[in-house]
Amino acid sequence: MPYIAFGKKSFMLKSAYRFDHFMGILNTIVRIFIFWVIYKALYGSRTEVEGITMTMVTTNFILSIGLEAVFYVHDFYLPDKIGNGSIATELLLPVSIKGRMIAENLGNAFFKLLYHFVPALIVSVIIMGIEPPASVSMLILFIVSALLGYGVLWTISFVVQMSAFWLINVWSIVTIKNVFVNVLSGSMIPLWFMPDWMSGIVEFSPFSSIYFTPVQIYLGQLSSGQIAYKCLIQLIWIVIIYMIGNLLWAKGKKKLVVQGG
Amino acid sequence: MMKNDTMHLAGVYTKYVMKSWFQYKVDAVLRSLAVFLREATGIFVIYFTLLEFDSLNGWNIYEMLFLFSLLFVTYGILILFFTGLRDFGHTVRTGGFDRFILRPRGLLFQLIFCNADWFAAIGHGGLGIVLFIISAGKVGVQWDVVTILYYIFAIIGGVLIQGAIFLFLATLNIYLLETGSIKELFYFNAREFAGYPISIFSKGIQAVMIYVVPFAFVNYFPAQYLLRKPDMEQYPEIFMYLTPVVGVVMYLLAYGFWRFSVKYYKSSGN
Repeated sequence: MPYIAFGKKSFMLKSAYRFDHFMGILNTIVRIFIFWVIYKALYGSRTEVEGITMTMVTTNFILSIGLEAVFYVHDFYLPDKIGNGSIATELLLPVSIKGRMIAENLGNAFFKLLYHFVPALIVSVIIMGIEPPASVSMLILFIVSALLGYGVLWTISFVVQMSAFWLINVWSIVTIKNVFVNVLSGSMIPLWFMPDWMSGIVEFSPFSSIYFTPVQIYLGQLSSGQIAYKCLIQLIWIVIIYMIGNLLWAKGKKKLVVQGG
Repeated sequence: MMKNDTMHLAGVYTKYVMKSWFQYKVDAVLRSLAVFLREATGIFVIYFTLLEFDSLNGWNIYEMLFLFSLLFVTYGILILFFTGLRDFGHTVRTGGFDRFILRPRGLLFQLIFCNADWFAAIGHGGLGIVLFIISAGKVGVQWDVVTILYYIFAIIGGVLIQGAIFLFLATLNIYLLETGSIKELFYFNAREFAGYPISIFSKGIQAVMIYVVPFAFVNYFPAQYLLRKPDMEQYPEIFMYLTPVVGVVMYLLAYGFWRFSVKYYKSSGN
């Protein structure tokens, strides 16, 4: 299996830049910390707002910002290859580019999980505390749902990367995508506190199933029926977005051939 | 004569910098929009949050937007002049700085006018202006000659403070080749904190924001002069008037450090 080798290579590559890596962890902790301080000031002497306690807010930030580091998808993977023309040779290789992309991203994610998420989690919990998982089964379902959340984020990135076949520069599109992810996924504002008129947008967009669904499961806020429903929604999003991406991929490849590379 | 010549050269540089940044029109619009939206993310978040919570340590939504606007307006102006310093590490590593040294003009002059990140300027500056327009009429500031003059001096001071930090960090490149992470830590992380009233943070962080990386003088204290929120009580009143002074002093110090260090510059070699 060449894909496992790609995954491993990506894992090894990550461990080469020590100092950058520590700064990355620090960045995650600082981000969590800032939101924690802001919410402490917002809560003031109140113990709960709309039934949500401060510890639940803290848990939301630690988990979603922590996962954000793990879920990092290299949005310029294909655009770079299309930009410098190396995609032409890659297409000739007997491995699928998509397969390679997934393998490298997963290798990276696994590295981040062990050496970024875990230390950031430990430091954050020591400083700020966290709500324990509602139960062992909820913890397991949290992990399942988080994996699906990664799938949603990955497919969104996949579609965005496809725009590289038509645009010289995808930086702007990637940046705008990240704005949507940041605002609507719950990593910067716990979605409990979204105003009512936004809840429709939150409900009917794929972004809330990236981090917020796993967090809700972790906190035991969903019944088993709701969990099944939310995870089904995650799956449906993965399938729909992946199919869109695949369609663009097929079209883009054809266009690439027409151009003659 | 010499002065005219310098002005002329600055004009020529600016013309070509703009030409190169706006070469692809659609791309330029998209990029400026992307920077604008990326920076606005934090604003959306605080806006939605304050719809639920009303106020953050006594600051309502418009006062928060006003506080943010100072940060963005100063950065928008700053980046027009200091892009060369932001990217100075790259210039040194690739040996581009050697070329600057050979030219018969001041080094800092060349660095300042040779590049300007127009997308960042439009994105940040535009956002700052939008926030100012939304908030300025609703925060109870009487806009007269005194407050307008104060505002202008606060902006100049805020630009100089951040410019001094950029210049200081750029100078470090002469001694250390890789400073990206230091910049990340001292500038961009500190800036994350600066969007909020510093009174919500612990004493240690406040001390950093006032005395080490003095972002508090870029937006918090100037905003306090204009808004007079009760959380100002814990700081000396004079802090509200110091922004231009802090800016000038810091910039002169950073400039001195730069002049001193340039003499010791050794090329990274090719």
